Amino acid sequence: MTTPSKTPNALLHGALDALILKTLARGPSHGYAVARFIEETTGDAVLVEEGSLYPALYRLERRGWVEAEWGTSELGRRAKLYRLTDSGRVQLETEMATWRRFSAGVSKVLFST
Amino acid sequence: MKRSLRSWLWRVPIDQEIEEELALHVDMRTRELVERGMDPRAARELAIERLGDVARLKREMTGLGRKRDREMRFTLWLEELRDDVKFAFRQLRSSPAFALVAVFTLAFGIGANSAIFALVDATLLRPLPYGQPERLVSIWERSAKTPRGFASPPNMLDWNARSRTFERIAGFTPGVGGMVMAGADGNAETVSRQWVTAGIFDVLGVKPILGRTFSADDEAKRANVIVMSESFWRTRYNADPSVVGRDIRLDGEMWTLAGIVPKEFEILGQTSVWAMRPFVNMPPRARAAYMLQVVGRMKPGVAIAAAEADLGAVADGLAQEFPQTNKGRGVVLEPMHDSIIGSDLKITSMLFLGVVAFVLLICCANVANLLLARATVRSRELAVRSALGAGRMRIVRQLVTESVVLSLIGGALGVAIGAAILSVAPSLIPQSLLPPTVTLTFDMRVVGFCAGAALLVGLLFGVMPAWKATEFSSAEVVGSDSRTTTGGGGTLRSVLVVGEVATAVLLLFGAGLLLRTLVAVESFDRGYRADSVLSMLVDPLGSKYPTPASLQQFFDQVEAEIMTVPGVKAVGWTSSVPLGPDQLDGYSFEIVGDPPVPESQRPGLNYQVASPGYFSALDLPIVEGRAFNSRDTRDGVPVCIINEAFARNYFHDRSPIGRQIAVRAADAPQDKPRIREIVGVGRQVKGRPDEPKDLIQYYAPMAQDLSDDIYLVVRPASGRAEALAPAVRAAIGRVDKEQLVSLRNITTLEDIEWDVTGRHRFRAVLVLAFAALALLLAMVGVFGLLAYSVQQRLRDFGVRRALGATTNDVLRLVVGNAVRVIVTGAVIGLVLSALLGRLIVTMLFGVQPLDLTTFAVVTIVVAVTAGLSIAGPAWRAAQIDPAVVLRSK
Repeated sequence: MTTPSKTPNALLHGALDALILKTLARGPSHGYAVARFIEETTGDAVLVEEGSLYPALYRLERRGWVEAEWGTSELGRRAKLYRLTDSGRVQLETEMATWRRFSAGVSKVLFST
Repeated sequence: MKRSLRSWLWRVPIDQEIEEELALHVDMRTRELVERGMDPRAARELAIERLGDVARLKREMTGLGRKRDREMRFTLWLEELRDDVKFAFRQLRSSPAFALVAVFTLAFGIGANSAIFALVDATLLRPLPYGQPERLVSIWERSAKTPRGFASPPNMLDWNARSRTFERIAGFTPGVGGMVMAGADGNAETVSRQWVTAGIFDVLGVKPILGRTFSADDEAKRANVIVMSESFWRTRYNADPSVVGRDIRLDGEMWTLAGIVPKEFEILGQTSVWAMRPFVNMPPRARAAYMLQVVGRMKPGVAIAAAEADLGAVADGLAQEFPQTNKGRGVVLEPMHDSIIGSDLKITSMLFLGVVAFVLLICCANVANLLLARATVRSRELAVRSALGAGRMRIVRQLVTESVVLSLIGGALGVAIGAAILSVAPSLIPQSLLPPTVTLTFDMRVVGFCAGAALLVGLLFGVMPAWKATEFSSAEVVGSDSRTTTGGGGTLRSVLVVGEVATAVLLLFGAGLLLRTLVAVESFDRGYRADSVLSMLVDPLGSKYPTPASLQQFFDQVEAEIMTVPGVKAVGWTSSVPLGPDQLDGYSFEIVGDPPVPESQRPGLNYQVASPGYFSALDLPIVEGRAFNSRDTRDGVPVCIINEAFARNYFHDRSPIGRQIAVRAADAPQDKPRIREIVGVGRQVKGRPDEPKDLIQYYAPMAQDLSDDIYLVVRPASGRAEALAPAVRAAIGRVDKEQLVSLRNITTLEDIEWDVTGRHRFRAVLVLAFAALALLLAMVGVFGLLAYSVQQRLRDFGVRRALGATTNDVLRLVVGNAVRVIVTGAVIGLVLSALLGRLIVTMLFGVQPLDLTTFAVVTIVVAVTAGLSIAGPAWRAAQIDPAVVLRSK
């Protein structure tokens, strides 16, 4: 599934899930909107591999962190909208805490004098 | 969770979902790129390219989506089930009377079934507790006279040595009487034992729990060794391990205790001790001593037919080598399981299983009826749910869940009831039917059976009422007044009750036949009167009476002393009592003066030793000639008495009195025969009523054929025989105090008979109990049907009364309905009885399967009980006051 890395920064394993959850915390959206939001917010610094975005969404749905329903897209077409569930919100908190600890730890090493 | 479930409910197929989702993505990305100034075609290509390998992506998403859907469906199902179960409990709590009646009905049905299942499991399903029990067979000697007889030791040894299909063959002799051993308190006690050949433990694959079993070395040395059963070792020696290897005095000889074997080994008969009997270097005539019950372990993969052919060839070879003893003798094999669990026990188990299954069906029908009645009451609730969008299947599922919950609660209670039945059952089952070693255990298999039965039963009685209850047009029911709803299922309910009545009649009929059998067996003319005769085995010990004369003197003194006991009417001595153990078979005879008969064709007879007093003690009439008297002594003319069958079969119309017969033991055909003159013909003694043919019997006077263990029989002038026991013991003590310890098997002939008729009594009582239960349940069903229909039609009846109908008219309506149901049920039941009666013909005696008396009695019983169950609802209908009924809404 992995496409050869042509990205400035490949995503760390597990980070994609956190990013998706965070994006959906703002409100329900469809897959493309999620991808766009991540690109825009990171200033294209993090490239979301679209090939792994959708499977990730399906996995999250299976675990009950997001749920899907049919809604309407900006184009007026039927679109599958993903929404964060309560347990997804809890999961997001956990991921954020983990990430904070992880990056703090890594920073300490990298930027120590 | 709720929302995601809703979204799932209108989900599109997974392929389409993915297709649409990805298409939207590509379109939106293309629009974005075009807005940034890209050429539309290139933009679209790039958008697709960024998705990577699309086919692979789709495959991955499809897999994930499918899994997700399956899980969601399962979650949904579980949630609905949880809701249904919760709802079911709420429903049951809201109508506790209904719940209690239903649960207890089911609990009794399932409980009775579980107990019977334990019996069936022990007798039919469970294999013998030995390694690879399917390789174990019982081997019998077959001759023209006995289709399945014991084997002689030399024959068994040759089978073992010459067969190619057996790993090993061994034998044992059951019922050889006990060995006397010094008890814990210093008094002698009798220890039950069996003679066995050395290999028996190896054949069965029994490992000792302590010490060892017999070895070839023991056999070669002809050593006195015994093996003890675990239970005896525990009770007598408090499981003391140091006893193994010690010498124990038994019957005055020293025996070495080789080892202890576990309880399971007792399956060959409840025995405390197995003593090894080395059958080596036996004289040739021993080939005709048929004393061993033989078991063999076939080699792996050998079929029983092949083993039988192999042993048959061996037996043919022996017949050629030893024509004197073995001519015309073959072998018969049967699986060992079959020979331990008698066919009588098997068919009894099957009978009970059938009976309780019918009882359970009636329980189901009753609960189904309750549910149908309730469904009518609940029709509004169901209609409302249906109107709110619940599908029929959904409502049916809900209702079935309710009935399964009911039946599972009933099943749990049933386990308790079954356990209670089983804790008392073994004492109810006659020993003669159930070998003491076939244990009824309440284990996980029985609990599993209960759970399975409960589930099945819940579905059985739940599905149909649920289906029926949901047959409505919702608008109609919601709009109407529930009180006037007659409700579907009226016919169905009648059909159920008809079925119940039919089943109850069938069971009653079966019980009636078995009861009549019991009565016939008990009132059966055995030729003697057993009503009140005390019997005990006297077995003088030691060397105090070394000569026959001194022994005879001892017995004479005892007899004289007992005659002085107040209340004693007659005293006699005999080698065996009717129906009792120690019967002497294996004798053949010739009539002196008739042309000689070849040895192998000489007729056999049953040999009994009797004193002059024996015939009066048993009230056994002498139909011709005379009884023995005090002149028939050792030095007198050898005389004998024969029985009616003997006289009829071998003397025809000639008088046997004064003729002589020559009698030989079958195992010593070459010996000089005993020649005796016939002085009398005794009334035929018939042991078991189902004995295939009349026994040929021959009595020798005790004084002329004395043995040192003999049964004493005492008849009191009046009153109960067992009351004489202490006085008789005391009288024997006055003659020789030391011999008191040698008295054994103190019982009455009545008790012996009771044991023999036990199986008939057991069957009759148990089936009658179940039939009574079935009748009660069926009548509860009739009552319920009627009470309910009266309740439903109160207004109708009120209107009729108001319009001029009399009480009688109303009663005719109510009763007419019930009578139709009962008569239909009874007729179907009687027809079924006529058809099924022949299934139990092997258990019947003195009554035909189409017994008119039983038909009549069953009909009367059903009519009377039906009358009782109709009376209540009919009275209620008759009491209707039109004014009251019509005023209430």
